Amino acid sequence: MSFLTPIFLLGGLAVALPVLFHLIRRTTRRRTPFSSLMFLTASPPRLTQRSRLEHILLLLLRCAVVCLLALAFARPFFRKAVPDTSVSAARRVVVLVDTSASMRRANLWTAAREQAQSIVRRAAPADQVAVFTFDRQVNPVVSFEQWTAAGPGGRVALVNGKLAALSPGWSATHLGQALIQAAETLADAGGKQALGPGQIVLISDLQEGSRLEPLQGYEWPKNVRVSVQPLKSRPGSNAALQLVSESDEAAPQAGAAIRVRVTNAADSRRDQFRVGWAQPDGRGFAGTPTEVYVPPGQSRVVPLALPQAAGPARYAGPERILLQGDDEDFDNTVFVVPPETQRLSVLYCGSGSEKDPAQPLYFLRRAFQETRRQAVQVVIRQPGADAGRSPALPALSAADLESPTLFVVTDPLPEALAGALRSQVAAGKTALFVLRSGAPANTLATMLGLQRIAVEEASLKDYAILGEIEFRHPLFAPFADPRFNDFSRIHFWKHRRLDAGSIPSARPLAKFDSGDAALVEVPVGRGRVLILTSGWQPEDSQFALSTKFVPLLYAMLEQSGAPAPLPTQHHVGDIIPITPAGLGDKSGAVVFAPDGSRFELPAGEASFSRTMTPGIYTLASAGVARRFAVNLDAAESRTAPLPADELERLGVPLAPQETAVAREAQLKVRLQDAELEDRQRLWRLCLIAALGVLLAETWVAARITV
Amino acid sequence: MSIRNLELRARVVVEGFWSGLHRSPYHGFSVEFTEYRQYSPDDDPRYLDWRVFARSDRYFIKKFEEETNLRCYVLADRSRSMAYGSTGCTKAEYAATLAATLAYFLYMQGDAVGVLTFDEENRDYLPARHRTGHLRQVMLALEKPALGRGTSLAAPLERIVEMVRRRSLMMLISDFLAPIGRLESDLLALSACGHEVIVFQVLDPAELDLSFQEPAMFEDAESGRTLFIDPRSARKEYQRKLEAHCQSLRTACQRLGIACERLTTDRPLELALFGFLRQRMQHKRGPRRMARSKVGL
Repeated sequence: MSFLTPIFLLGGLAVALPVLFHLIRRTTRRRTPFSSLMFLTASPPRLTQRSRLEHILLLLLRCAVVCLLALAFARPFFRKAVPDTSVSAARRVVVLVDTSASMRRANLWTAAREQAQSIVRRAAPADQVAVFTFDRQVNPVVSFEQWTAAGPGGRVALVNGKLAALSPGWSATHLGQALIQAAETLADAGGKQALGPGQIVLISDLQEGSRLEPLQGYEWPKNVRVSVQPLKSRPGSNAALQLVSESDEAAPQAGAAIRVRVTNAADSRRDQFRVGWAQPDGRGFAGTPTEVYVPPGQSRVVPLALPQAAGPARYAGPERILLQGDDEDFDNTVFVVPPETQRLSVLYCGSGSEKDPAQPLYFLRRAFQETRRQAVQVVIRQPGADAGRSPALPALSAADLESPTLFVVTDPLPEALAGALRSQVAAGKTALFVLRSGAPANTLATMLGLQRIAVEEASLKDYAILGEIEFRHPLFAPFADPRFNDFSRIHFWKHRRLDAGSIPSARPLAKFDSGDAALVEVPVGRGRVLILTSGWQPEDSQFALSTKFVPLLYAMLEQSGAPAPLPTQHHVGDIIPITPAGLGDKSGAVVFAPDGSRFELPAGEASFSRTMTPGIYTLASAGVARRFAVNLDAAESRTAPLPADELERLGVPLAPQETAVAREAQLKVRLQDAELEDRQRLWRLCLIAALGVLLAETWVAARITV
Repeated sequence: MSIRNLELRARVVVEGFWSGLHRSPYHGFSVEFTEYRQYSPDDDPRYLDWRVFARSDRYFIKKFEEETNLRCYVLADRSRSMAYGSTGCTKAEYAATLAATLAYFLYMQGDAVGVLTFDEENRDYLPARHRTGHLRQVMLALEKPALGRGTSLAAPLERIVEMVRRRSLMMLISDFLAPIGRLESDLLALSACGHEVIVFQVLDPAELDLSFQEPAMFEDAESGRTLFIDPRSARKEYQRKLEAHCQSLRTACQRLGIACERLTTDRPLELALFGFLRQRMQHKRGPRRMARSKVGL
C-alpha cells in the first residue's frame, strides 16, 4: 500500500492522546449551581495511584478512530505496475569535452573528466556515443565506430582510458565551430541508421571568450539537442596579460617600451597586481616589477621599458613578461620577440638629383620611408655615358646589381651592365624601366633579348589618363576595391608609345585612354621587367603626386622577390607562414619549439602549424634564424562564465538539464499515483470506518456513563 | 407554595393565622392642628385657612400633625443567590411569599405598605401607601424574578434612610449570603432614624448542611465562579463558616435590639410566621416599639 500524502500518517501519533486521557483521572464536568461559594474553598483533586487503563474497549475504539482518520488523510492506494508507454529509442550522443587553455584552471579538468565518464556510464547499451575534445579544432577521442566495436562491456574502459591520456592544451576555445562539427557528425550518423534523436553533451567551463560567431548563420539540424554541463571553477581572481601590438607602419623609435595590457576578470576579488620582465626560467621578476591597480572588470595598459642591453633591432634580453597577484597562472606570461626591421635596397639607375623636385629620383627617394618593419635603402647609380659626370653620384658597376631586388632604370645602360641586369632579373628580381624618353629603348631591347624596340613620343592634345587597368594582377590587386580604383584623376601630359605587341609575352597591365600601353609586364626568366611609358615627375605626369604612387611602388617591391618579414607575435594554434629567407632558398626549414622539440619542415612547405604551446619558437632556414613568439589567445583569459541562454539565443536547441528531467519523471510518477488514488478512493472507506467506530464509541461511552 | 398567585398565597397564609390572633384592626384616623404657616407658592391651596384669610386678608396654611396607621416597608433581596432552592421552592419564592404575606396582613389592617427590592443595587421602590390597587403593585414588585448578580445590603438601607423620614417598620428579607461588614452600621442608622427593623434570613436546608454527596464543580449563582468541591471533605468547614457568619449577623442585630429570624424554606411559612408573631407578642411593647402601632408586629 502506498500513500499519496504520507505526511498525514504522522497524525497517527495522535493515538497517544486517548491513551493519555484514559490514564488521567477525569475531573467531573458536572456543574452544581449553588447560592454562594463564599464559605467554600476548592477541594484538591483526588489523585489515585491507579496505573491501569480504564474502559479498554472505549480506548481501543478511540485509538481506532484516530488511526483511521490519519489513514484516510494519507490518501492510501495500492500501486499497480503501470506499463511504460514511452519506448526508449537508442540515442546518439556526442560528448564534447573542452580542452582549451581556460580548462587548465584548478579542478576544472578533473570535473570535466568525471562528468564525461558519468555520461558514458549512464549510456544505455543501444546508445551510440562518441567523445570529442575541442579547442581551436575538434579532435575525435572515441568515434561511433570505436564505441560500437568496443561492445557494451568495454566501452566505459575505452573512454576512461582515452580520457586519462588527455589534458587541456593552450589553444583558444572555438565553441561555435565545435558545436557545428558535432551537430553535423550527429546528422550524418542519423542519416545512415534509424536512430533516435541526437544529443550533444557539452562539458565546458563556458567562458566568455568562447567563440560563438559561427553559430550565427548556421541552420541547426533537426533532432539534435545540446545538453550543457557547465563546469564551475573555484571562485578566485584572474587577471590576464596581453601584449599590445604596435603598428608596423609606425616609425622606429630607439628605446621604445613594450606595452602590455592587464585585464582583470569581472568576478575577481583582487585588484593589485605586479607586472615585470621575468627571469629566463620564468620563475620570478628580473627586476623590480611594476605595481598595477586594476579594478575588477577593467583593464590597464602598462608600458615596460626594454632593458638597456637590448635594442629593438636585435633583441637578446628577457623574452617573457610576468604577471603576479592573481590565482590562475595559465594566462600570466607573455612571450615577446620584438619585430626585426627588414632591410631592403632599391637600385636607381639614372641621372638626376634627389633634391630636384622635377626629377623622378626626388619622388622615389621619398616614397620609401623607414618603418619598424622595413627599412628600404635607395641606392643611386649613374650609368652609361653620364657616369662620373656628376661627382656626387657613383657610377654603376656589376657589383651594385647583387643585393637589390628592385631596379629602377631611367637611363640607358651600357651593354655589359644591361646583360648583368638581365641575368639578375632572370633570377627572380624585378626591373622597372621608366621611359622618360626613347633613350633606354636599346637597353630595354637588350634586356628583353630583342633586336630593337620602337619607342616614340606620343602626341597628346591635352593629357592622357589611364583607361584600362588589369586589377586582377597582383600589382593592382590592392586597388581593386571600388574605393581605390579611380585612376582617372592622374593626368599624363606626356608619354611614349610602345608597341607592346612586338614584344613576345608582354602583358599590358595598364593602358591609356588612347589605347597605348602605360605599364607593361614582360617576364624574364623567373623575374620580370616592368615598362612604364611615362615618367612620374611633374613634367610628364601627376603620377608621383597621386595616392597610387607609393602603394604601387611597394607592390612592385613585394613582387620583386624580396623576403617578406616574418611576423613575430602569434597565438597558440596559429598557422605560421614560412617565407623563404631569400631568393634561391629551396632548402627545408627547421623549427625549434620552446620545449626543445625540433620539427623538420620539408622543402616547399609554406606553413608551420604545430604551435601547441606558448613560448619562443625559432625558425631556421638557409642559415638564417628567425624567432617568433607564440602566446595564449587573449579571448581565453575572459574567464567569466557565459550564460547558457546565449547558446539558445544563437539558435542552439538546449536539452533540459538532468535535474529538470528527474523532476519531470518525479512529477509523472506523482500524477500516476494521484490518478490511481483517485480511482481507488480508499480514503472513503477509511472515513466510513472511522465514522462507524465513532458511533460505536459513542454508544459504548453512553453505556458506561449510564 | 403550590399556589402560583402570590397574593392568593399570601391571603391563604394570612387567613391561616388571622383567626388565631383574635385581634381586630383599628381604623382610627385623626388630624391634630399644630400651627399656621404663611402661604408660599407651590403649597397646596387645599390647606389654606380661608377664615384667617377673611380676617386678616393674608394667606395661611394650616398645618396638622398627621396621624396615620403603621407604615411598613418590605426590603426584599432579589439577587440570584435567592433563586437557589433544593426543596422545590426557591428562597426567592419563599421570601416573596413572606413579604407578600406580611404586606397583605398589614394592608388588611389598614396600614400603609411599601416595598424596596434590591440586589447589587436598588431595583423597585414603592412608597408606603394604603390605596386601592397599591397592594397589587407591591405583589407585582415582589413577583419579579431574582436576577441580580450580587447582593449589596448597604444600598437599600442607605436608600431607605434617605427616602423614609417618618418612623416606619422595616422588614429586611434576605439570605445575607454576602459580607456583612457595614451591615451593623447601616442598621444602626436605620434604627437611629426611629425605624423599627425586623430581619428575616431565608436559607435553604442544603445551604445549612451542604447536603451533597458527589464531588462536583459548584457554580456560584451570582458570580458564575466555579469551584471543584468535594462536599464530604468541605462540609465541616463550610458549616463552621456559615454558622460563624450567621452568628455575627445575629450578634449585630442583638446589639441593636433588632429582631432577627432565620427561616428555612422547608418549613411551612404560616408556621414560621406564627411562631415569630407569637414570640413578638411575648415581647410586646419593647422600648423601641412604635407608639401608635396597633398590632403586635
